[in-house]
This record gives sequence, C-alpha cells and structure tokens, in this order.
Amino acid sequence: MFKKSILYVLLCLGMFLNLGCLKDKSEVDISSKNWDEILKLASGTKVTFYGWGGDENINRWIDEVVAKDIKQKYNITLERVPMLPNEFLPKLLNEKQLGSEGVIDIVWINGENFFNAKNQGLLYGPFAYKLPNFNKYVDKNSSDVLYDFGYPVEGFEAPYGKAQLVLIGDTAKLDYLPKNHKELLEIAKKYPGKITYPDASDFTGSAFIRNIIYDVVGYEALKDIKPNKEDVKKAIKPALDFLVELKPYLWRQGKAYPSTLAQLDNMFSDGEVYITMNYTPYHVLTKINEGDFSKTAKAFIFNKGTISNTHFLAIPFNAPNKAGALVVINHLLSPSIQAQKYNPKTWGDLPVISSNLLNEEEKKLFENVNLGKEAIPQDVLVKHSIPEMRAELIPIIESLWREVVLADE
Amino acid sequence: MNINKILVRIIALLLFFPILFMVFLSLSGAWPWPFLMPKSISLRGYLYVFNPSTKILKILINSILLSLIVTFITIAISLPAANALAFYDFKGKNIIKVLLFLPLIVPMIAVTMGIHLIFIRLGIVNTYLGVILIHVIPGIPYGVKILLNVFELKGNKIELQAKILGASTWQVLRYITIPIIMPTLVVAGSVIYIISFTQYFITFLIGGGKIITYSIILFPFAESGDRTILSALSVIFVISVLAIIYLSEKLVKKIYKNYI
Repeated sequence: MFKKSILYVLLCLGMFLNLGCLKDKSEVDISSKNWDEILKLASGTKVTFYGWGGDENINRWIDEVVAKDIKQKYNITLERVPMLPNEFLPKLLNEKQLGSEGVIDIVWINGENFFNAKNQGLLYGPFAYKLPNFNKYVDKNSSDVLYDFGYPVEGFEAPYGKAQLVLIGDTAKLDYLPKNHKELLEIAKKYPGKITYPDASDFTGSAFIRNIIYDVVGYEALKDIKPNKEDVKKAIKPALDFLVELKPYLWRQGKAYPSTLAQLDNMFSDGEVYITMNYTPYHVLTKINEGDFSKTAKAFIFNKGTISNTHFLAIPFNAPNKAGALVVINHLLSPSIQAQKYNPKTWGDLPVISSNLLNEEEKKLFENVNLGKEAIPQDVLVKHSIPEMRAELIPIIESLWREVVLADE
Repeated sequence: MNINKILVRIIALLLFFPILFMVFLSLSGAWPWPFLMPKSISLRGYLYVFNPSTKILKILINSILLSLIVTFITIAISLPAANALAFYDFKGKNIIKVLLFLPLIVPMIAVTMGIHLIFIRLGIVNTYLGVILIHVIPGIPYGVKILLNVFELKGNKIELQAKILGASTWQVLRYITIPIIMPTLVVAGSVIYIISFTQYFITFLIGGGKIITYSIILFPFAESGDRTILSALSVIFVISVLAIIYLSEKLVKKIYKNYI
C-alpha cells in the first residue's frame, strides 16, 4: 500500500514537472525604440555583467570606476558576476530549451563561445548598430570587428577590446629575443629545458601553436582550407614537424607541458623558464609593477607578426534588462573608457575604437597613457598583427598537436 | 615513546607546512626561485580581499550560512537513511547501498545540467533554495557512509533495551543514539560542510550568479594563477572552515556534558 502511494506521488510529480509550462512574461520590445527611449527605459534599472573574474585590476576597475560612472551618468546599477570563461553556455542552453527568463544582461565573449552561442540562438541581436558610440567611433569595415575568429559577427556582439599575443622573455637570462621560429629553436638549443609553452588545451597555449603555424606556413595557407583533419594536417605539416624538432630542447624534453598559462607565468617568475607569453600585450607591465616578473622581463613579437583577436560583449536572448545592457555596452565603447582600459595600470587592453574617428581631445586621452619601455608600442603591434583563424579549425589543430607533437615518441 | 613523538612531529610538520607556505605566499610580493624567503612583502592580496567594493567578506558570511544550512539538511537526511541501512533488512538493500554513491560516480556536472532544467520548471533556479538543494546531493554519500559505519559498529542493542523499557522513538534518538554518535556526527558534518563550501560549477549553474558563494570568487583566481590573491583568499577560506569546525566541536562538547 505504502509503496504504491509513493509511486503515485512520484508519477504525479513527474507529470507536473514535464507538463508545467512557464508563464511568458511580456517584455518591452526595444528593437523599434530610438536611443533616447532606450536611455529612459534603462534609467533606474540594474544590469548584470558576467565576465571572466580572474584579474584583480580588471575586477577593481569595473567595480570602482565603471560602475560609479554608469550610476552617475545613466542611473544604472552595474553588478559584476565573476565566472570562468565557458560556464554560462550550459546555463543559457538549458534556459533556451525551456524558454525561461534569464539573469545575465551582458556577457563577455569571443571565439568558439560566440560561435556556439550564436549558432544555437542564444544571443539577442543584432544590436551593435543601435549603439551611438559604435557608429561614431568603431571602424565598421575592419575585419577584426566584422569577424570573430573568422565567424561573421553581424551585430550580435559589440567589440570591447583587442588582444594580441606577445612573447615575454627575460633579457637578463637570454642573449637575444627570437624574431622567428628558427631563432626560437636556436634559443631552445642554447638553453635546453628553459623554454616551453602551455598545453594546447590552454587558450594561450593553443594561440601560440597557431602562431608557430603562421610563422612556418603562413596565414594564407589556412585561410580557405576545409575544416577536416586530412587537409589541415597536410597544410600545417611543416609546422608540426618544427614543433617535434623543438620538442627535445623544451622543459622536461617536451614530454609534459604546463597545463595553463598561469603555471607558465609562475614558472617564469620563479626563473624555471626564460620565456612566457600573454594575450594582453601590456600584461608584462602589470606583472613587473606587482613584482611578479623581474624588471628585466620584456615583451617581444615575431617579425612575421602574432595573432590578434577582438573580444566582445553580447546580450543573451533572455536578458532581463536589454535596454540597460545596451546603455552599458555603449558606455564601454566611449573614448574615455577605452583609454582607461588601455592604461597598463588598469588593464593594458588595446582599444577597439579607431583613432582616425576621434577628435583631438579624444586622441589626447590615448596619448597620455604612459606605456613604458618594456612594452611594444601600439602601432608596432598593429603592423604585426595577423588575424585569428576560423574557430572551426582550432579544435582540429589542437587534436593534431596532441597526436603528432605530444604523443610522438 | 621517543620515536612516536618524532613521528608525530614529522606528520604535523608535513600537514602544516603547505598551510604555512600559503600564508607566506599570501603576504609576498615577489618570491622568485631560489630565494628561501620572499623578496618583498606585500599586503596586496589582503587589501583586495578586505576592500569593501569587492564585497568578499559579505559573500564569505553568506557562504558560511548557506553551507551550515546545507549541512543540517544533509545530516537530517543521512541519519535516518544510515539507520535504516544498518538495522533493517529489505529487498534491494545492497543495490541501494551502491546507488548511494552515484553522486560520487556520475559527474556532478552532468547531473546538475538535468536538475537545472527541472529547477527552472519549478522556479527555484537562481534562488537560495535551489542552491541549498543542489548542495545537499554531493554531501549525502559522505553523510550516509560515515554514519552507516558507526551504526554498524555500535549496533542497536542499547536502543532496543530502551525501547523495551518503554522509551519512545524520539526519546531513544535524543537520549541514546545522538549522544553516542555525536563525535561521528561532527566529523560527518565537517565533511559535508567543506564539500558544500567548495562547490563551484553547480553553484554557478543553479545560483546563476545571483547567489554568489566564496568559491565563485576564488575559482577564477585559481585559474588565472595570481598566487598572492589566491593565497590570501585561501588563507581566509581555511581560517573560516577551521573556525566553524572548532566552534561546532565546542558546542557539541557543551551539549554532551549535560548528558553524561
């Protein structure tokens, strides 16, 4: 008797859970509203900003400077929620499946995550062309705004900042800083065990491998390639061979690689290796200021250039406060914010707004930022930037690296 | 006698060294190899943790409360479950014993993805209640297993004796079972508390960033490798956990005295 009744209760509960449908909240449609109306709608609301939360300076800047600014200017409360880079995707997927309202207003995104999110309809948009600052300051025809890892943006995200891979070497320990992959091999032979790069599963490690591929076979070789293993393998074979050749001179003879950039950074501060790398070109200054890196650390790039990419801000399809999100993203594209962000003391992130679209006063904001001699000037970086390859090629390259380079005995 | 003492000291050193090292790290500016001592001292880590704009202390208190509630609920579920598994015979008992470990065998991430869907339907996603419920799940296997062991060891003869003498179920529980298993209860509670306190992904998914726990703050720093801040956060973490365990033991001893 007892058992049966439990069974019934469970059954009913199951039915309730499956049949129970969600109430559709009628939401104000903002796509037809003009900017003044959006500003009015956004005033007095709260905007939740989800982004990677692993950097003290960025966190503090958003909490203390940006949030205060936005409160004063637009009467919007900005709340930052820290996360690891990929965690919001499963959450949005589940919410999409049930069509429920979300909690995320703005999400910091790019590359594969954007590709997946947009493909599965998890993003609201197109919205970028609605933003006054986007229309005024951003070069809309530049490929790093039109494409995110080779995938068309189509206004579903607005640029936030630019990153470019730089290598960081300790000039006190290295005779010279390598200018291409061949010199890197020489350096590795000269200082066996003192050079390495993060594993392909690490964001920056994967970028470094792609950069070596560019340096060996060139960007053009991969531009129009089909995303299947055989074709990619054929195209990047010389680069894979090079990495295998480099392997015996690496830290632990290349049998193991630091699993994260964080680990490599710590090994670099400890003097266990002489080269590290970073996607934020001015990160080295922050690290020197904090005392983590020695004052002799210096950023350098290859003559053929290094990979650069843009990181973006997007609005989830079920963001509860889309008007507020638009206002905040627009503010983050303003010259004053972009200049603050450019300052290595705050962050050292490259601006996404185009300097020929700025007036003299606005240009000054950027000129006043003091970079220091350990960093590479922005115009040199821009000249040496190579676009990211298509997002769909990246997992293929990572698995080829694992098979050919890591597993090779 | 002497050898024992030396052994105890070595073990204590091995246990405390990593924690001591962490304390040093949290206060160090730069500490390159091969220096035995940090080259500079920096309060950067603690300044960040105690900066009111980061709200870290508020979040810590919130987290402690949340994990305490989770611990009580998990114990309340584990206690009768362990009792039943120890003293009753029923069909499928062995299967249930194995099934109990499912939360440890099946990755919590997979389970939580499914539960998230159900919680959305129930409307308890992004709420305190949702996070508490999801935290109970990984705690149960530990709770039941630890209590089951002690139940099997002590048997239920004393309880039966009391029942024969006319004690009610509640009286047996209150005056006999709980006092006897109290030390184990504290151990189980501590384990469950720590498990709840360290959950990252399931808290993020179910709490949706509305419920922010200490782990949510700590994990991004672990990933980014900022040793100073990470160590400062971890030192506070360890102190808070030790304080809670110490206080609960004190409290239990006080209650204990009244029975004996």
